[in-house]
Amino acid sequence: MANTTISTNASTPSSLRKWVGVVPFFLFAILFLILPSLRLFIGSFTNNAGHFTFDNILQLFEEQSILNAYWLSIRISAVTAIGGGIFGFLLAYSVTVGGLPKQLRSVLITFSGVASNFAGVPLAFAFVATLGRTGIITAILKDVFGFEIYKTGFNLYSFLGLSLTYLYFQFPLMVLVMTPALDGLKREWREAAENLGASNMQYWWRVALPVLLPSILGSMILLFGNAFGAYATAYALTGGALPIVTIQIGAQIRGDVLHNPGLGYAMAMGMVVIMAISLAGYSWLQSKSERWLK
Amino acid sequence: MNDNLGNWNEDLVRELASKQARDSKKPQDNKRSLKGFPVWSWVWYLLGALYFILPLYATFTFSLEMKRDTLSFLAYEKAFADKEFWHTFGYSNLVALLTILVSALLSIPTAYWIRLRLPQARRIVEFITLLPFVVPAIILVFGLIRIYSSSFNIPFTDIALIPPLTNFRAGTTVLLVAGYTVLALPYMYRSVDTGMRTIDVATLTEAAQSLGADWKTIMLRVIFPNLRSALLSGALLTFAIVVGEVTIASFLGVPAFGPYLFLLGQHRAYEPAALSFTSFLLTWMAMGLIQLVTGGQGQTTGAH
Amino acid sequence: MAYLTLSGISKQFGDTVVVEDFNLDIEKGEFVSFLGPSGCGKTTTLRMVAGFEIPTSGKIILGGNDITDQAPNQRNVGMIFQAYALFPNMTVSQNIGFGLSIRKEPEVAIKERVQEMVSLIGLEKHANKYPYQLSGGQQQRVALARALANRPQVLLLDEPLSALDAKIRVSLRAEIRAIQKRLGITAIFVTHDQEEALSISDRIVIMNEGRAEQVGTPFEIYNFPKTQFAANFVGSLNNAGAEVIDPANGILSMDGVHFKTADTEMANRRRGDKIRISIRPERFSFAVEPLKDNVVDCTIENITFLGSVVRIQVKIGTTKFNMDTFNNPFLELPAVGAKEKVMCSKEAVLVLESA
Repeated sequence: MANTTISTNASTPSSLRKWVGVVPFFLFAILFLILPSLRLFIGSFTNNAGHFTFDNILQLFEEQSILNAYWLSIRISAVTAIGGGIFGFLLAYSVTVGGLPKQLRSVLITFSGVASNFAGVPLAFAFVATLGRTGIITAILKDVFGFEIYKTGFNLYSFLGLSLTYLYFQFPLMVLVMTPALDGLKREWREAAENLGASNMQYWWRVALPVLLPSILGSMILLFGNAFGAYATAYALTGGALPIVTIQIGAQIRGDVLHNPGLGYAMAMGMVVIMAISLAGYSWLQSKSERWLK
Repeated sequence: MNDNLGNWNEDLVRELASKQARDSKKPQDNKRSLKGFPVWSWVWYLLGALYFILPLYATFTFSLEMKRDTLSFLAYEKAFADKEFWHTFGYSNLVALLTILVSALLSIPTAYWIRLRLPQARRIVEFITLLPFVVPAIILVFGLIRIYSSSFNIPFTDIALIPPLTNFRAGTTVLLVAGYTVLALPYMYRSVDTGMRTIDVATLTEAAQSLGADWKTIMLRVIFPNLRSALLSGALLTFAIVVGEVTIASFLGVPAFGPYLFLLGQHRAYEPAALSFTSFLLTWMAMGLIQLVTGGQGQTTGAH
Repeated sequence: MAYLTLSGISKQFGDTVVVEDFNLDIEKGEFVSFLGPSGCGKTTTLRMVAGFEIPTSGKIILGGNDITDQAPNQRNVGMIFQAYALFPNMTVSQNIGFGLSIRKEPEVAIKERVQEMVSLIGLEKHANKYPYQLSGGQQQRVALARALANRPQVLLLDEPLSALDAKIRVSLRAEIRAIQKRLGITAIFVTHDQEEALSISDRIVIMNEGRAEQVGTPFEIYNFPKTQFAANFVGSLNNAGAEVIDPANGILSMDGVHFKTADTEMANRRRGDKIRISIRPERFSFAVEPLKDNVVDCTIENITFLGSVVRIQVKIGTTKFNMDTFNNPFLELPAVGAKEKVMCSKEAVLVLESA
C-alpha cells in the first residue's frame, strides 16, 4: 500500500483529520442505515408503555402464527436454496468444466445477470401467464396431455407455486456465484489425478467436489438469505395469502395488525438475525474456498 | 540410510507395466479432456433454457392477445398511451439517476480516501457495505418510516428542525433515494473499489503528483476517466434495481413505476404483461451494456 | 532396445504443426532434458508421453509396450507440473498417498510408502500440513514425492522450477537430480533455462519450432553445437560473417582478418563462399605464450565487470566481439581504446549452418 500523503494544512490534529474523507459516507450510513436498524432494534425491546422488556422477543417464540411464519419462510428459503443450488450448479458446470461452446456460456452468464434482477412484480406476472389458471403451460398440459393441473390441487399461489417462481432468480444467482469457483478448478488437478491413476469419477469424488464444497455450501446459504428476504415477488404473486415473515412484516408496517408495535420490531429483528447468520456463514465458507481456489 | 528406495524393484515395475498393458482398454476408449460428447451438459443447459424461456414466452404471447382472435401490439399501445405510465416511469428514472449520483458521490471519494489515506477504515467501510444484505428492503423501509415519520426536534424542545419526511413528496423522495442508495451501495462501492484497485490508483496519484498535478486535476483527469467502466457498470446495476423496485416505493407511497405496475395488475390483464415484458427487455439491455463495458466481470444482485 | 522410444512423433492442432517428426531413444535411468524457447513443442511432446495429448502420427514405446493411445490414467508415468497441482483439500501425506489409494493398496502399505517418500524429500515435520501452508519449493517437493510414490516407469517434469525463486531453483534442481540418480528412474525434464538443462542432464534435446535440432550431452551441445540455433540458445556466442579463403587449410577471412578453423566441412567449400562463424567468448584470451592458432589485432571497446567474469568487448576488423575472462583482482586490464592482441584456437572457430 503506498504511503501517499495528501498535502493538507495541519491545523487540526492529524489523526482526526485523517477521518475527514470518510465522514460523508459514515454520516449517510448512520442516517439511513444504522439509525433505522437501531430504531427497530430498540423498538423490539420496548413494550407498549415505552419501557424496556424482553417480552416481545419471548413472544416471538410463543406466538403460533409468528412461529408458523418463520417456519414457512425457512422452508421456502431452504427448498429454493437447495433446489436452486443443485440445478444452478449443474448449469454452471455445463458451461465451464462440462465443455459446452463458449458462446453458450456467455449467453447463460448474461441472462443470469438479467434474471437474477427480474424479481418482483414482472416475475409474478410472467409466472401467472405461464402457470396461472389461463397460463400457457396449464393450457398445453390440458390440451396436449389432457392433464388439468388445477384439478389436482395445484395452485400457483401456494408454497409450490412461489417456490417455482423463486427459482427463477435462484438458479441464476447460483450460476453467477459458482461459475468463478468452477473456473478456479485447475486443469492440472484433473491431469495430476489422471496421471496418478484416477478415473474421471474418482477425480470428482476425491478432489473436485471436496474442493468445491465450501463454495457450493456458501452459495446455497446465500440463496437461502436471498429467498428469506424477498418480499415483492411473494406479495405480487400471492397478494399476502402466503404468510411468510416478510409479508407479515409488511402487514405490520401498514397497520399494526399485531396490536403490539414492539412485536413487529421483534419480528423484523428476528429476520435480521437470520440474514446475519446466513451472511456470516456465506462469508466464512467463501474465505475457506478462496484459500483453495486462488 | 535405509535404501529400500534404491531398490526400485525391477520386477514390480515390470509387472505393473505389463499388467496395465493387459488391462488397458481399447485405444479409443479413453476420455481425454472433454473429447467425448458432453451429453449431460447439453441436457442441463437445455432444461435450463426451457425453464427460463417459457415464462418470458408466455408473457410475450399473452401480451399480444389483447385484441380478440388476433395477435397485435394493442396491449403495448394502450400501456404506453397511459399518462400514468409515463408519469411513474419518468419518476422512477429520475429517482434512479439521483441514486446513481448520490451513491457515486459517496463511493468514489470514500474508496479513494481509504486507499490512499486511511487503510484502517477499510474493514469497517466494507462491513457497512455488507449490511444492506442483512437489512433487506422490507426491513429498511420499516426502519426508515418509523424514524422519519416524526420530526427532528432540537433536543428538549418542541421546535421542529425538519418536519416528518414522510409527510411530503420531496421528503419521501429523499427517503426513497436514500433507501435505494443503501440498497445499491454494495454494488456501487465494490465496483468503484475494484476499479481503483485495477488501475492502482495510489501509484497513479503519485505519478500525477510528481508531475505537478493538484487535487482537482488528479480527480478530474486521472481518477475519473479511468473509472469510467466501473462507474458505468455500477450505474447500470443501480438503474436495474431502482426502476423495478416495489417494496420501498409502495410503502413510502411514491408514484414510482413498481407500484404502478402492481396496481395495473390488479385491474388489467394484458397491459401489465406488455409492461413486464418491456421491463425485462430493458433490464436485458442494461445488463448487456454492462457486459460490453466491463468485458464480462459483472456483479450479481439478488431478489427483491 | 531403449527403454522409452519416441518414433516419428508429430502433433498437429488444426493447421498448426506443433511437433514434427520427433525421434528419440531414451535409456533406462537416463535424465534427458528438452530445452527450447516457448512454443517449440517441448511441453506438447512431454504431454504426449504422459497421455494428455494424442500424437497425430508416430509411436511411443515404453518398456516394450506401445502406449501411444493408452489413457493417461493407465500409463503409470509420473508427472510433475509447473504449477505443482497439489490437491488443496488433502494434506501432504494424503497427496502423496493418492495414487496408491486409487490403486486400492492396503492401508498399511500406503502408510509405509508415504513415510518413505516424506523422508526422501525431507518434509517429515510437514506431513500433515495443507498445500496452502507450504512454500513453492516445498510444494514442488511434495509433488515429486507424490509422483514417485506410485513407482512410475518414467518421471516427466514440465518446467517444474519455473515458478520458483532463483535460489530455490538451484537447490531444488540438484535435489531432483540426486533423487533421480539414487532411484535410477528414467526422467524427461522440460525447461527453457539452459543453465538448468546443462547442469543436471545426461543428455539434452534442443528443440526449435517443433523439431529436435540436436541431441547430445551437455558438453557436446555446448562445445560442438550443430546448428546456429543450438549455438545461440545455449551459452552466449559471438557471430560474424566471413568468406572462405582457403578451404583445404580451413582459412577464412572475416573483415579482412584471417582466421583458421578446425571445422571439418570447410574442405567441401569453395573459395569465396560466404559463411558465418561463431566463437564462444571464453575461448578468447590475451595473446601470451604459448600462442594459439589464431592471433589477431584488436581494439578494446568496453570492459564490463560482471562479478566472477569480466567481459571485454574488442573490435576485430570492424566487428565487435565479446571476450570473457575470469576475474583476477591482480590482473591489470588494458584501458579502453588500447590496441591489443588476442588469440583463440582453431577448434574454437565454429562454422555452423545458418539457421
